[in-house]
Amino acid sequence: MPGREGMSEWYRLDNAGVLYSALQKETYSAIYRFSAVMDRPVDRQALQRAVDQTMPRFPTFRVRIKRGAFWYYFEPNDAPGPYVKEDISNPCQPVRFQEDNGWLVRFYCYEHRISVEVFHAVSDGGGALVFFKTLLAVYLRELGHRIPNTCGVLDITAPPRPEELEDAYGKYAQGKGWRGGRRGRAYQNTGTPEPFYTLNVTMGFCSVLQLKQKAKSYGVSITEYLAAVLMKVILDKQHREAPGRELPVALAIPINLRAWFPSESLRNFILTTRPVIDPSLGEYSFEEVLSQVHHMLRLNLSRQRMRAELTGNVRFTQNHLLQIVPIALKNPVMALGYRLAGVRPYSGTYTNPGAFLVPPEMEPHIRRMEVILGQATNPRVHCASISYGDVMEITFAGTQKETDTEREFFRFLIRDGIAVKVESNRTE
Amino acid sequence: MPYCVHCGVELDATATFCPLCQTPVLDPVQPPDTTSPKPFPTQRGEVAPVSKQELALLLSAMLICVAACCGLLNLFLKPGRGWSLYVIGAAAMLWLWLVPPLLARGMHLLLRLLVDVAAVGLYVYLISMDLNGQAWFWGLAAPVIFWGGAVLLLLGLVLRVYRRSVITSLTILIGSLGVFLFGVEYLIDQWLYRAWNPSWSLVVLTICVGLVIPLIIVRRIPSLREEAHKRFHL
Repeated sequence: MPGREGMSEWYRLDNAGVLYSALQKETYSAIYRFSAVMDRPVDRQALQRAVDQTMPRFPTFRVRIKRGAFWYYFEPNDAPGPYVKEDISNPCQPVRFQEDNGWLVRFYCYEHRISVEVFHAVSDGGGALVFFKTLLAVYLRELGHRIPNTCGVLDITAPPRPEELEDAYGKYAQGKGWRGGRRGRAYQNTGTPEPFYTLNVTMGFCSVLQLKQKAKSYGVSITEYLAAVLMKVILDKQHREAPGRELPVALAIPINLRAWFPSESLRNFILTTRPVIDPSLGEYSFEEVLSQVHHMLRLNLSRQRMRAELTGNVRFTQNHLLQIVPIALKNPVMALGYRLAGVRPYSGTYTNPGAFLVPPEMEPHIRRMEVILGQATNPRVHCASISYGDVMEITFAGTQKETDTEREFFRFLIRDGIAVKVESNRTE
Repeated sequence: MPYCVHCGVELDATATFCPLCQTPVLDPVQPPDTTSPKPFPTQRGEVAPVSKQELALLLSAMLICVAACCGLLNLFLKPGRGWSLYVIGAAAMLWLWLVPPLLARGMHLLLRLLVDVAAVGLYVYLISMDLNGQAWFWGLAAPVIFWGGAVLLLLGLVLRVYRRSVITSLTILIGSLGVFLFGVEYLIDQWLYRAWNPSWSLVVLTICVGLVIPLIIVRRIPSLREEAHKRFHL
């Protein structure tokens, strides 16, 4: 079923897109949000003009999803919009394919904040940040600033390049495939669910410099340090609950494959890695957790291993038997598969897209960046972080009432000598 | 800038409590800023209602169509026997189960159960019409259906009105099943023999009581309850 890749017609979803579209339901959101807090209140009309100019340059974002007999597929969306809306307190609401004119990208503004929400089947964080950076550049140009097309800002007058539209998974799927071994059940870190469509968001802001110095003092990277803090906090939480048998604590950490395989695709190109600590073997100090995380991440991240894993995933979706199963049967099976292989073996998600770099001309106009992950399949928090300048923003977002994971996480940073400022959308 | 006295984190100037530990911000020198905008919007995103009317319309059309086609066919196929009443009754019952909850948003539990029980009653009544079974319908089927409805209603109200733990809910469920079957045998006996001679339902009730007793003990003794919560992740 080869899709014509010229973007004038339909095209098929990439490997990650197949999964996210099959999972989409009212109680799970494969939507993530990036926000930029600007130096002055947002001009909504200028932002709408910027959206209108930017969208045609990104045909992979200007799509609607359609349901075929066997698979979902994308087709260009020529409907009016997408429109910039007033921001809401419960972000990252699950996407409904038939609503909002079929748009899979949403734009919001509130005071100084510009937010873009993207359905994960469309693109991963790496692709969405290129889109967002270009949108911010066009917005600032609309306000009269001169912003060059450097540091990853794409030229909106140029036609989209074929490399941006490619399915990078398919391109690099070669050789022997490997789908990972059986992964046991991890501690689920769930809490009391909030009423329908409530997403509790708590953001912490700290200095990148302080974090870097702290991570350096342990001989690790910032991502490794923050992942280890999160794992230690979850390990301690499980220990306080005193279960009969302590389960392993494992995180899902998405890896941007563009750093390993030369691809400029604006679609999905990620894999997840799984650092895991098994507390049934004995108590771990923070330094021991940190050492484990540091070595596990480095051991698992090799070009060959990642290629084998993405090849295994691609081969799985190309399976002839799976191809002929109607979508109505395929979706529940994939949802069950995700629950067993994508939810059960993990205690949470931590993602760090890294530093958001912009042309120097844009820097004074952006105060900070923010990232939020949508609600998980069960009431637990997802953690995400992004840095801009000297501000590292760390978000905990989830549908659980309790705040224990984020509270202990930020208290840990404070005890470790890192000053944190906290903001939240919680009202009680 | 306010700080949380428990967490040590800096808070937004507009914050009235710490979002991590809910400790109120109490600074007599610098009260929370009530004029500046909050860091996040306070307006919730409204959930666009799913088009339930359309779904109700489609379901109604399908069920009416099935009922009409079978009614028509009955005129030619075995016209002496009202077999289509079974299909029409099933369609009516399904309609009453599915469509009113779609049309009436937040339909009250009591009303919904009444409608559902009435639908079952209607269907069984139609069957009794075909089988000339008015006697067994009014003598046995209707009392059993209403008894079942009453037990369900009580169960629904108890489980819904009061927030129950899993153990308590399970206890109530098992207990209700025993009581329902006990009542069913009473009604059968009354219909058949005009006398009550409990036998099999007593066995079922005893089994239910046997199942319920350990659950009540676990529920009543805090240490056991905590252990059950811990072991079974309740």
